[in-house]
Amino acid sequence: MTDLSLHISNSRSAGTPVCHPNDEYVSTRAHDTAPPTQSAARPKPSEYVELHATSAFSFLEAASQPDTLIDRAAELDLSAVALTDRNGLYGAARFHSAGKRTGVRAHIGAEIAIRSFGDRLTPPDWLPHQYPKEPPRIVLLCASQAGYQNLCQLLTRMKMREPSKGEGSATLDDLAEFSAGLICLTGGDEGPLASDLARGGDSEARSTLDRLVSIYGRSNLYIELQRHHQRDEEARNQALLNLASSLRLPAIATNGVRYATAKEREILDVFTSIRHHTTLDRAGRLLNSNSMRHLRTEQQMTILFRDIPEAIANTRIVSDRLEFSLENLGYKFPHYLVPEGETMVSFLEKRVEEGVLKRYGVPSKRDLLDRARTQVRRELALIKRLGFEGYFLIVWDIIRYCRQHGILVQGRGSAANSAVCYALEITAVDPVGMELLFERFLSESRGEWPDIDLDLPSGDQREQVIQHIYEKYGSLGAAMTANVISYRGRSAAREVGKVLGFDEDTLARLSGLVGRWEWRGNNDTMARNFEHAGFDVHHAKIACYLDLCLRMQDLPRHLGQHSGGMVICAGMLNRVVPIERASMPGRTVVQWDKEDCADLGIIKIDLLGLGMMAVLQDCLQQLPCHYGDQVDLAAMPEDPLVYDTLCKADTVGMFQVESRAQMASIPHNAPRKFYDLVVQVAIIRPGPIVGRMMHPYMNRRQGKEKITYPHPSLEPVLKRTLGVPLFQEQLLRMAMTVADFSGAEAEELRRAVGMRRSMQRMKDLEGRLRTGMTRNGIVGEAQDNIVQGISSFAMYGFPESHAASFALIAYASAYLKVYYLAAFTCALLNNQPMGFYSPAVLVKDAQRHGLRVRPIDVQRSSGLCSVETEQDGSHSLRIGLNYVKGLRQSSAQALVETRDREGLFESVDDIAERIPELNRKELVALARIGALNSLGEIRHRRDALWQVEEAGRFAGPLLQRKEATPTTALSKSPLRQMTTEERLAADYAGSGLTTGPHPMAWHRSILRKQGILSSEELQGKPNLSRVRIAGCVIARQRPGTAKGFVFLSLEDEAGIANIIITPDVFEQNRVVVTRSKVLLIDGQLQVNDGVIHVKARRISSLEITDADIRSRDFH
Amino acid sequence: MTRTLYACIHAAEFPAQTLVRLRPELRAQPVVVLDGIAPEETVCSINAHARRQGADLHLTKFEAEAIAGLHLLRRSIASESTARTVFLECAANFSPRIEDVSFGTACACVLDIAGTESLFGPPDKLAQRIRAAMLSAGFHASIAVSENFHCARLKAAHARGISLVAAGEEAGAMTSLPIQALHLDENATETFALWGIRSLGQLAALPQHDLVARCGQQATAWRELAMGVYAHAFQPIEPVFQLSEFCEFETPIEQIDSLIFVGARMIECLVARASVRALSLASLTAEMTLEGGKVHRCVLHPALPSTDRKFLLKLLQLEIAAHSPQSAVFALALSAEAGQSSQVQLGLFAPQTPEPSRLDVTIARLKNLVGEDRVGSAVLLDTHAPENFRMENFGLDNTTTIPSTAHPRWTLRRVRPPVPLRVTLESSLPVSFRDRDKRYAVKEAFGPWTTSGSWWSMGRWNVEEWDVLAETDLGAPIVCLLVFDRQKKDWRLEAYYD
Repeated sequence: MTDLSLHISNSRSAGTPVCHPNDEYVSTRAHDTAPPTQSAARPKPSEYVELHATSAFSFLEAASQPDTLIDRAAELDLSAVALTDRNGLYGAARFHSAGKRTGVRAHIGAEIAIRSFGDRLTPPDWLPHQYPKEPPRIVLLCASQAGYQNLCQLLTRMKMREPSKGEGSATLDDLAEFSAGLICLTGGDEGPLASDLARGGDSEARSTLDRLVSIYGRSNLYIELQRHHQRDEEARNQALLNLASSLRLPAIATNGVRYATAKEREILDVFTSIRHHTTLDRAGRLLNSNSMRHLRTEQQMTILFRDIPEAIANTRIVSDRLEFSLENLGYKFPHYLVPEGETMVSFLEKRVEEGVLKRYGVPSKRDLLDRARTQVRRELALIKRLGFEGYFLIVWDIIRYCRQHGILVQGRGSAANSAVCYALEITAVDPVGMELLFERFLSESRGEWPDIDLDLPSGDQREQVIQHIYEKYGSLGAAMTANVISYRGRSAAREVGKVLGFDEDTLARLSGLVGRWEWRGNNDTMARNFEHAGFDVHHAKIACYLDLCLRMQDLPRHLGQHSGGMVICAGMLNRVVPIERASMPGRTVVQWDKEDCADLGIIKIDLLGLGMMAVLQDCLQQLPCHYGDQVDLAAMPEDPLVYDTLCKADTVGMFQVESRAQMASIPHNAPRKFYDLVVQVAIIRPGPIVGRMMHPYMNRRQGKEKITYPHPSLEPVLKRTLGVPLFQEQLLRMAMTVADFSGAEAEELRRAVGMRRSMQRMKDLEGRLRTGMTRNGIVGEAQDNIVQGISSFAMYGFPESHAASFALIAYASAYLKVYYLAAFTCALLNNQPMGFYSPAVLVKDAQRHGLRVRPIDVQRSSGLCSVETEQDGSHSLRIGLNYVKGLRQSSAQALVETRDREGLFESVDDIAERIPELNRKELVALARIGALNSLGEIRHRRDALWQVEEAGRFAGPLLQRKEATPTTALSKSPLRQMTTEERLAADYAGSGLTTGPHPMAWHRSILRKQGILSSEELQGKPNLSRVRIAGCVIARQRPGTAKGFVFLSLEDEAGIANIIITPDVFEQNRVVVTRSKVLLIDGQLQVNDGVIHVKARRISSLEITDADIRSRDFH
Repeated sequence: MTRTLYACIHAAEFPAQTLVRLRPELRAQPVVVLDGIAPEETVCSINAHARRQGADLHLTKFEAEAIAGLHLLRRSIASESTARTVFLECAANFSPRIEDVSFGTACACVLDIAGTESLFGPPDKLAQRIRAAMLSAGFHASIAVSENFHCARLKAAHARGISLVAAGEEAGAMTSLPIQALHLDENATETFALWGIRSLGQLAALPQHDLVARCGQQATAWRELAMGVYAHAFQPIEPVFQLSEFCEFETPIEQIDSLIFVGARMIECLVARASVRALSLASLTAEMTLEGGKVHRCVLHPALPSTDRKFLLKLLQLEIAAHSPQSAVFALALSAEAGQSSQVQLGLFAPQTPEPSRLDVTIARLKNLVGEDRVGSAVLLDTHAPENFRMENFGLDNTTTIPSTAHPRWTLRRVRPPVPLRVTLESSLPVSFRDRDKRYAVKEAFGPWTTSGSWWSMGRWNVEEWDVLAETDLGAPIVCLLVFDRQKKDWRLEAYYD
């Protein structure tokens, strides 16, 4: 009873114990030898500031979001809180933003692990526990910008010292090097003093304090006291107070907050179990012993530390000293190095002028030249005024690097509104010719950096560009933005299930059923998913499980890296935000995600990997060799055949227009020119659909509805979209036209409406809008209509420039598919997974378009799919070895190299002997799909399977000599040939596709006898007739905008049929719809302007094949 | 050469059969048996009626409940064990040589029936008699008779009713059986699937040398199994070695000494039987059948397995003295668990420890006095929960020492059971409390020291502790630990500080 003895013996000389009014109370003694404080005054009741709070961004060591902490602090009337997450500033940006929103001062700091102080406090050895060894952590708070920069550098140093992604720890030398501007608290039970006192008593703690004093100075070091109603902690507090007194150091009170409210302790216990890979039942002392680490009111803390008032007073003093906030980040975008005698502005102007001449100097665009020059002058003036010339030059430099290295690149997003970007070849859409609105991209009043996103071919080439940027700006000057991986339905269900002790099978069953649909109906609650997984949600344990899963939603789980966002910095990025290693070798990542970076004004360039860019690049590279053609994406002709194909919705594999919804709408839109395609890309989006813009546009397009305008003056603005506002740029122009807004004001209006955050700002802008309209004679109902129109569609509008950029790629993909089907399909197959359809569907679609698709063959196939030229000069597609499941890339490479070097293979034994890398399983994988059928003695796949079983077995040393090998390979196989169904199943199991007839084709005659139509035969049937159709499910969708309707795509040998399932029918057939591979649908035909759907009434599973046909679901 | 003949008896879905067997009213009903721990139970066995209703193995309880009309029963391993004994006993009536070939949820055995013809008639009659006997014992079983052990086994597992395989007809009888009957490993199963080999007939048709060249020597066994020629060395079930003695008294015994007298003889026999096998007695269970049919049971666990009959008898004597039967004893059964004789090597310079058997006797005496769960070593548990220890028998390895400290220590003396209190609070602070006898005025109170946990289970706790210095009305001071259980809302005096 060491702890108690100390406590009680002191208490005998102490005053009266005190009691907390809300029953959460600790009695203490009065402190007879008060440690020194910097304030002689007794604290006022409102003087407490929580200076040691951690958020869920201490990954699995705390349980509340940073903004939840701030909101709770605001509720408790705390004037300030410090966020001190473990080894990072991951949550700082959100904490800062929430602080700005609520008026609570958001102090920034971190808990820093220090290896030099030994191990952190664990229970004594004689107590059973499972604590791992970890370094203790001190708390560092940023007093000034210099302090913040030092903290960032310190964190970067300790993180980058690790060979791979990891926690890391600092040394005393690190602390000393980056000590300026920081205030140090000694930490609670995770701090070094707690472990020192347990290990070596006062003397060891004193030694640690001496070292910290030498680093931070006496005025910047505070001995931290926490009270969580624990005896051993209280004993430590007494020892710390004695130390503070003898060393003349100030004490400070904190609550070591790990969650905002007491209830969240449960989440922390779950996190603790996850972190230590154990269950709640087995976690034992790893869990919190009570629920006291929540935010407390000033009154609670004041009473709790009534015997040490200076500890409370010091929180206010320290808070007042923490002048730094993230408003004052000190970030600067780098300058571009220009040749001597040039300024960045002059250099940019010259590059733009060159670009203008190149882009608009061609005869077809000469008429636009003057307008383009005027536009770029205007844009350049604004860029110069805003000081963004360096930014444009740096992006231009990246584009130039890509061009020099043959990497296809295209800017997207609002950058396509800029003529300067077009001239610099950052974008490929002509904003002058398309009359795009520059202000949507850049405006003077917005006060933020332009956002340029670059699409690159996904894969190695994008990585090449990223590494170029690292090289150019240094490893501490550039980094990827982070991606915060948060708990979602599946991950929460799985991990909570684990810590509650559910077995693997149960967890797998549950995670397989937790919905991934985009749309969630009333029945799609997590509770419902639990029921489907076979759980009784009324059982107490299951109810607890469900409750925890729901509460875990959106809490951060770990940090990943964003797919393409990169930030660069003038000087050292590691002084702006901590940088750490990503899991991917050669990559570093900042501790904030892209929204955090944007909120704090850090400029990012998105280097996005776009699968279709890789397809286009691969396809274009093949054209000269196989077709003798060269196609320039920037100058593709407007081709009627391409538009005919688009109008027929024959768009499988094409970028952006291949989805089920696009296919259903594109015949109505009937695009005949590029701008029609721009509209098509933009209109099938959640925004326009929810905003009810799609149908008015389509009706007007088909002449079913009269074209009207909200006001005659808006006709020029809305004429291109038939009077229906579709694009954000149109909103800007509407405001500029009817209310004389400037471009910048209009952009401000768009953002204010879109964000719906500041009601006051919205009111002001609406007032100005109405005043402007009144001034222009637009009053009454017309005025209300316009205001209403702007409000509703601003939420959902799509940037016209973005649509144009995507439309350009969509058109290119359509053009290449129509004219170079073999090369395009080949490129598509080599860049999977991407798009809406599986490789099996892409192959069948290409075959229906007349392409010969050759099967995998060890004598012919390359590592990747390839184009072959037939004897008649036509082109066919050979499936590559990359589609053999279970064949390692190195084995495939060895096979191709050996064959190319030494000639074709003679037999199975020959392959096995010449390519020792191939193991038995790989030979079996090749044999089962018929890839060995072209070898001399092989008659059918089972012949090959029979032979590889012998050839693939390693002989002992005695039999390894060639002459000793028995020649049983030539013995006749006793196995019978595979049936059609067996071949089909082997094709799908072994390669995911078949080059033979479609699985449905084998059963057509029987299906026809049962009155089951093919997808092609639907076209001859009248509207509303009853039909039966069957097919393989290739896609299931439940879009967020479709109110619970499910859309299925069924494929047969003739094409794809579209099925609509109402929510009621879906509920009745949920299991059949979600699990069956082949479905039989009884329903009603719905024909609308050539677009055919079957509205399902009865659904049943059709067991006609064992082939593993996969569907792509839940898009 | 002696002719061999085997009969295999195969009862599929044994867990379901076991439970239905004792409840005849369920025989015509759809029944599924659930296994696993709630709430994660799944169906492990079903009867034919249930299968026809759409039930299947591995359904969750929730899914099974969704199928109308199903009877859901819980699996009983004890019942299955008993039923298995009955099953084997029933089979043993037809041959003393039985081999257990149970697999999965099936219960099966093969009988060596060579030479039984004169007793039970020809094989077909024998099979019918076995089936009838099984049915009367409550089991639906399929029977197969063959000269080949495995042919009988496989045929019984995959055919219904009675199958008689004539000599030389084994291969033909097996030809349609699925290849899964051989329970091959994953690789071989996949290979045969790729080869299109689905039945034993197809497997048997493969050329042996080529097959061995591809699948290894094990393929010979597979092929011979498929052809019904695989030889088998019969492994009859050995009689279970059970150390038990039973004595029924002609007249009920009321005197413990008389009982011990008989018990001494029985222990002597048990020890002798164990000693022959170089074993000791690790535990001893005495079951006394009393007047009225009740059974009085007591179990002895010596610290080390022993063959010291005097020591064991002393333990039994103490145990019966401590837990004496309530009425006269009709029968005494002693059963023992065998254990390895163990000798512990002690250190030459290690302090002398008490002799284990003497310690056992002492502990038994102590347990007599204070209760079973109050003797032994307290072992701390890895939990913050208030009762964070369990009692363990004394052992040589429980030697964890708590390091000494320079600080003076207070001794906490727990009060068992805790004393219920009425506590008077002022501003949430205890100011006085009263037990059954006295009233105490609180001079100083420190706390609350709070702990809570296991919020996810029924064992949740939430308590606050107060260290209190109090005085009686007569001025006698006490320093004690008061505990307030926040869930039960009650106060108790938990311990004194000495």
